[in-house]
Amino acid sequence: MRVSRTIVFLLAALGCYSSFAAGVSLPDAERVVLANGTVLILNENHEVPLIGLEAVVPGGASADPADKHGLASLLAGLLEKGAGDRSSAEFAEAIASVGGELSASADLEAISVSAEFMSKDAALMVELVRDMLRAPELQRGEFLKLRERSVNLIKAAKGGDPGELMPAYANAFLFGDHPYGNPVGGSESSLANITLGDLLAFHSDMMGGDRLVIAVSGDFDTASMQKALTDAFGDWRAATGSLPSIQAAAPLPGRRVLLIDKPGATQTYFYIGNVGVDRNYTHRAELDLANTVFGGRFTSMLMTELRTKSGLSYGARSTLTRYAKPGALFIVSFTETSTTVAALDVAVGVLGQLRDVGLDQAMIESARNYIMGQFPPRLETASQLARMFASIEANGLDVSYINDYGDSLNAASRESIAAVINKVYPPADSLVFVILGDADSIRDEILQYGPVTEMSISEERFHPQGERESGLSGRADQ
Amino acid sequence: MLKVALAYVLASLLVFWLLGGLLIWLGAPDWANEFLLLVLAIGFPVALIFAWAYEITPSGLKKSLDVDQTQSIVFKTGQKLNAAVLVLAVLGVLALVGEQLLPTFEFPKIIEPILPAPVYEKPDKEGVPAEIRAHTLKNGLRIIVWPDHDIPNVVMYNYVRAGGRNEYPGITGLSHFFEHMMFNGTEKRAQGEFDETMEAAGGANNAYTSEDLTVYQDWFPRTALETIFELEGDRLKNLAIEPSVVETERGIVYSERRSNYDNDNFGRLYLEMNATAFIAHPYQFPVIGWASDIENWTQEDLESYFKTYYAPNNLTMVFTGDVKPEEVFNLARKYFGPIPAQEAPQAIRTVEPEQLGERRLLIEVDAPTPLMHVAFHAGNATDPRTLPMNVLLNILVGGSSSRLHQVLVEQEQLALAIGGFQMEGFDPGLVYFYLTLPPDADIAVVENRLLEELNRVATDGVTEAELAKARNIMIADYWRGLSTINGKAATLGGAEVFFGDYQEAFALPGKLDEVSAEQIQAVAEDIFNRKRMTLGVLRSPAGEDAQ
Repeated sequence: MRVSRTIVFLLAALGCYSSFAAGVSLPDAERVVLANGTVLILNENHEVPLIGLEAVVPGGASADPADKHGLASLLAGLLEKGAGDRSSAEFAEAIASVGGELSASADLEAISVSAEFMSKDAALMVELVRDMLRAPELQRGEFLKLRERSVNLIKAAKGGDPGELMPAYANAFLFGDHPYGNPVGGSESSLANITLGDLLAFHSDMMGGDRLVIAVSGDFDTASMQKALTDAFGDWRAATGSLPSIQAAAPLPGRRVLLIDKPGATQTYFYIGNVGVDRNYTHRAELDLANTVFGGRFTSMLMTELRTKSGLSYGARSTLTRYAKPGALFIVSFTETSTTVAALDVAVGVLGQLRDVGLDQAMIESARNYIMGQFPPRLETASQLARMFASIEANGLDVSYINDYGDSLNAASRESIAAVINKVYPPADSLVFVILGDADSIRDEILQYGPVTEMSISEERFHPQGERESGLSGRADQ
Repeated sequence: MLKVALAYVLASLLVFWLLGGLLIWLGAPDWANEFLLLVLAIGFPVALIFAWAYEITPSGLKKSLDVDQTQSIVFKTGQKLNAAVLVLAVLGVLALVGEQLLPTFEFPKIIEPILPAPVYEKPDKEGVPAEIRAHTLKNGLRIIVWPDHDIPNVVMYNYVRAGGRNEYPGITGLSHFFEHMMFNGTEKRAQGEFDETMEAAGGANNAYTSEDLTVYQDWFPRTALETIFELEGDRLKNLAIEPSVVETERGIVYSERRSNYDNDNFGRLYLEMNATAFIAHPYQFPVIGWASDIENWTQEDLESYFKTYYAPNNLTMVFTGDVKPEEVFNLARKYFGPIPAQEAPQAIRTVEPEQLGERRLLIEVDAPTPLMHVAFHAGNATDPRTLPMNVLLNILVGGSSSRLHQVLVEQEQLALAIGGFQMEGFDPGLVYFYLTLPPDADIAVVENRLLEELNRVATDGVTEAELAKARNIMIADYWRGLSTINGKAATLGGAEVFFGDYQEAFALPGKLDEVSAEQIQAVAEDIFNRKRMTLGVLRSPAGEDAQ
């Protein structure tokens, strides 16, 4: 009897599998464009007494000057250090005294402010966000303190988990001088070049009402929230500078290796990849399915080979960063120093397997169910919704980016996925390796992956100095 | 007689199927099903004996030997039995087919109103959402369900009462290692199939191990509900501890240890802080395990660990999201009900003796910036000092407006960052502060300023404004926690496991109102006692320049 019930559940479950990728859609929202160009998106819902707000001003770290990486990030940090009538301490106190959350941060494409307050404190929230964006103190003492602290926190990170610094090294090596190679938080040396004047100029050049997008979701009345935001931002001046014009970087031909020496490290950390795709890539659904199977979940090909079967690593994944122009595609993992080559070989082998064999129908079905099954919790809270609305608007997308996603996943076929894999995932002879570990133990054996550029983790930068490629002979004398 | 046996078996199966379904629907205890089976089983030999010794005649039962063989109706009765066997067999086949077509056993809607409703534990305290239900299976497995239909997803947390505190030298890290082994195959499923099946159904999972607990988490669309039960039931019932898989997994856990501790200065110092602050209680052991134990624990260690700690009476499960309590309890009975209870694990007997003087610890490794950790012995989760201490921690290190952040990071720039937490476990733990220092820090100065500030709370207390702010932050965090189905599961589970009642979770706002400034001062005076302090520093060897 128990067996027959098991069969029943299997049949029922199979029946469900084919039908549940019905799709996820964003709730309705009001979109308002103010006279100065500021865009408001308002999504009212009263489930919990909270309001989430996301304000986005495009620009970000890709607008940092070449010798001043970390400028946008430093400015974002300083926005919180006093604004309007409040000193730095008073500003922090105003947020905390009502149990609110408010912070500013930079990424490559924007400076963003995220807030979450109890609905009764909506007016205070709008006031604080307004002051931060429009009237930050940008005071010298606070600036010097924050700059020094930022430099020291990078030093501290070098004594922490090296995995956290790897994206900065990897993007710097892959993109070089291209803006997508900028370390968002800067480096010890680039932060030292930044002056308060640079911050003031960035604030007026890059930030202004014409570029601002504000999305709000949660427990408020749309009409009064719209009025509050219009009063706060409707007369904010326009930004005076132009946004950086960014060219698409082409994938790097051939193989090259960056070795970052951390003496005594018992583990080697590695990124392997090349330039990937942009946010508007037509076959996003196909690529997401492929990447889910390749390195996007626990049973992925990379996890299976590097962890489950071989025990070489605790974790392995593949990351896709997608901006207005193509970002990076990287395999990410780490392994004990003595198994560095074994793990690198496995990773490269799995990439080859993806390109040669591709995905079968069962893998595609499974990945589709996984993506759709895990989607709803990403749009569960007011803050998540605010962030999604703001991101869609700021990146020039529309709600079909979410609402049509389920259909695109359903439409992806084995053939269309294979074509995407072939185009997007780099072939074995065009790979960039970024490897951090105890150089004395691994230097010789990683020469096989291509010409090696070496730097030390104690250098105060993420970009290697001088020639990108030093090659075999370059190392011999050092 | 053979026919009687066949007829009996077929009839029994039908009766069991029908009555079993009815019992499940009624929410009857698990033993009811087993009792029914027992009655039917006892009936079997009785029926056979009767068939052999008696004949069923129109005038009642007669001993076979007493029946005149010429008058025997065995033949006729046999024919009736033939018919009965045939009818029962047809009914059986129909039932099986019917069952294949219906996902679950259901009674016609029309008779539902006249059947008594299943009874599960409803909340009985004020302020607790009325839709929550709880139920304990006969084998001791406790299940709590909080329906929330905002998104078509479900979260499951399974709390296993096994963690670092249940270990001893030789098996340190075993709880955490076991967390890994629970994903590595059963008698039915090869290694990897658990995750493959779950992900193909749209679900994802994870798990974590602490000093007190091992917690398994599944996040899945509601369509995968029964798949999840089947998977979870299978690994609790039929876990395979395959020696070759154990060896691979040692490598994986070692890699995890290298990442989080051996190559991370924070982790390095943290492990040795616990090992120094505790000299007797097992909280001294790293949850990840000492390296030599990871290399050497045995198959036998693993098997006995599983039997002891993964018994249903040692588990608490929480389900939140797009489910009905009845369906969860029904599935739980079906998939977890048959797992036998075990003897309760041995209590942890060791009590940490009182510390009688401060302890100091120095680690000299390559460190671009020094780290300082400071810990004081404090209470367990239910200790009356624990909540006031949490409020105080919020005042001291909760965000950039907090006292210690303002003094040490902003005003005096003695530290790059400071944080703190309190262990809130089954046994008395630590209040813990961790500081990242600038490369050129004067460590003695930092220590003095930190201890002065802690002392200041003990002598001068906190202001009403600070108290109000901390309360507001904690209340807002409480609401944020309850704004997702994941947060709901974690909130209910934590209260049930540590306070013995999930309803305690909802008492937090009220309890926070009762915390007074005087209480906080008294707790600071009691706990921030240098005699019960452990202070650890990690820095580059003296005389060497930091990188």
